[in-house]
Amino acid sequence: MATELGHAGSLRRIAVNVGAGYVPGINAVVMGAALAAGRMGWEVVGIRDGFEGLLHPERYPDGGLVTLNPQLIENLDPAASGILGQSARIDPFQVRTINKDNQVEEVDMSDDLLKKLKAEKIDGLISIVGGQGLSILYQLHRKGLNAVCIPRSIENDIAATMVSFGFNSALTVSIEMLDKARQAAQSARKIAVVEVLGEQAGWLALQAGIAVCADAVLIPEIPCDLKMVAARLKEKISSRRPYGLVVVAQGVKIINKSQKEESKSSLKPSLSPLATGEASEHVIQQSGQAAQTVAMELQLLIAEETYPLVIGPWVRGGTPTAVDRQLGIAYGVAAVKALRNGQYGTVVAFVPPEIKCVPLAEAINKVRTVPVESEFIQIARSLGICLGREV
Amino acid sequence: MKNQSGNPSVPTGRVLNIQRYCSHDGPGIRTTVFLKGCSLRCKWCGNPESIAPKPELSYDPKKCTGRKCGLCLKSPFPEGVFYFVEGDDEHVKVNWQLSRDIDEALTSLCPAGALEMFGKLMTVDDVLDEVEKDASFYRNTGGGMTISGGEVMLQPDFAAALLKGAHERGFNTAIETACNAPWANLEKVLPHVDTMLHDHKLTDPERHKKWVGVTNERILANFKKAYEMFPNTDFIARTPLIPGVNADEEHIRAVLAFIRPHKNVIDYELLPYHRFGLGKYEYLGKVYELDDYKTPSDDLVKRLQAIIDEAFGRK
Repeated sequence: MATELGHAGSLRRIAVNVGAGYVPGINAVVMGAALAAGRMGWEVVGIRDGFEGLLHPERYPDGGLVTLNPQLIENLDPAASGILGQSARIDPFQVRTINKDNQVEEVDMSDDLLKKLKAEKIDGLISIVGGQGLSILYQLHRKGLNAVCIPRSIENDIAATMVSFGFNSALTVSIEMLDKARQAAQSARKIAVVEVLGEQAGWLALQAGIAVCADAVLIPEIPCDLKMVAARLKEKISSRRPYGLVVVAQGVKIINKSQKEESKSSLKPSLSPLATGEASEHVIQQSGQAAQTVAMELQLLIAEETYPLVIGPWVRGGTPTAVDRQLGIAYGVAAVKALRNGQYGTVVAFVPPEIKCVPLAEAINKVRTVPVESEFIQIARSLGICLGREV
Repeated sequence: MKNQSGNPSVPTGRVLNIQRYCSHDGPGIRTTVFLKGCSLRCKWCGNPESIAPKPELSYDPKKCTGRKCGLCLKSPFPEGVFYFVEGDDEHVKVNWQLSRDIDEALTSLCPAGALEMFGKLMTVDDVLDEVEKDASFYRNTGGGMTISGGEVMLQPDFAAALLKGAHERGFNTAIETACNAPWANLEKVLPHVDTMLHDHKLTDPERHKKWVGVTNERILANFKKAYEMFPNTDFIARTPLIPGVNADEEHIRAVLAFIRPHKNVIDYELLPYHRFGLGKYEYLGKVYELDDYKTPSDDLVKRLQAIIDEAFGRK
């Protein structure tokens, strides 16, 4: 964990911002960074809504920057929603604007951003971002920005760290919701197929599924055969236990799917050059599509009634868990320490038992997926949870 | 003529695709030339590859031969743009953030054809020579060349040269446009147009801005001025019909009130929302923003079409 920072010799002004994709407890990270920096006599400002507050300060009556002074931080609720807001897009290389001819265009404003940071005398940035944000900050770092990132991911799919900020809160909510889904399924005497977030990595589905002892857990890393899932459900369902619970990650891949969604469009073909048809289902992620597909496919294979439920975006709200509050504060402190040590172009990472700095160049282009030989897979198998394929 | 490619000697434009044997973009059998670059950002856009003005990388993972190839992870491809993820997925992944320097010289190295560039520079003669291939169909059916987009009016000089050249070769001409451009651009293009198909997407300016990216005041002013300044041109109004956005009687009646005073607006067509373009979002690494929307029901389309038919005296 981060050690006592002490006092830096030179006064600095640093900024904190938040990338796209909200998770509970962002304030904890902001508090950790602001308090640690404040103790060294640094001034800390928050940039509103990603980089918006800096690029378009005219949109903010109270200014695009928030001074994170001790009075404000001491009164900040670490469990409340983020004080800095966030932007749907954080990419300064592709900023959507309307030009003087009233035309929409995407403009590279990265140079503007760096100039504005300099004009504000900000010489270091702590950015709370997900996987895509790491690549953006990597590019900005290569252009000279002194950046340190804090990994934030619901899916826990950032490979550099054992735990991303936000995952534990999402896991906790998912478990609560799965418990309720199972009770509802028990009451209705049906099989609930519940979708949780996890486009590339199945950690959320697998760990939550283990926690509630689901009948089956289907994750992107293990393409699943639903005939095997149906067979397992038939074994487990009886007159004394007339219900089931299947947990499905959003990015589940299905082997030998029987149905293909037909488009009933009356598209005029020439309107669509290079028309390709519907996207492959694992890339264009419609919330609920995975649960619906699995529920429909299973329905064809078993007698009991199946129905889809979606937890999906519910995990992005609410109160952060104790783990995330601690982790957020620790990451905030560690990021300040990295700036003090000149470890620019890095992401702080929990590599037990320490928090380390991993170069962004090593952190990007990697996804922390569930290894088929992982301990969690072994635990699931020991519990008799069907994973859709023998592994 | 001003040259949009920067080369003063040869008139060129940014072309996305040339599609032959089209039958819905004007009279008869037609060849549709899709230009690249659009000034709107319709959330339902089915042609995302037409939006950016510059050529851009496209990656089809289904064509990728994966780890046994791995060519794109080596020089001369820039480091970090392509990568593999540990696990069963054999396909290369693209870091779209880092992919902006990829060009045709690099994509042409992909032996599987998984990497391509959407869009290329073409001369007027290159395009017209391609269009000429189906000249006999045009003569027999009254067809010709349609320029679509993207937005035609963003390349006014190139489009005007294409349309003029098509007329000189005896082809009927049509354009598909949203007219979100300065009037000066329309003034260059419209003298060479036989039929202008144009979109009335939403009526309310603020809702137009939410769904399309800009308000519609200038668009409507351009439409009106075009109807009045070019009385011999046929105009066909269109609405992409999206339930929950604009598939309602109020919008259809507002469009009819706008167009019916102008006798050269000869028809109003409904284009039911479709989701055929979604695969291309994947190819471009873009996110489709309208993922929960459904195609309109046949009943809804029939009901709204009946209002149009009545207004045009077809019943």
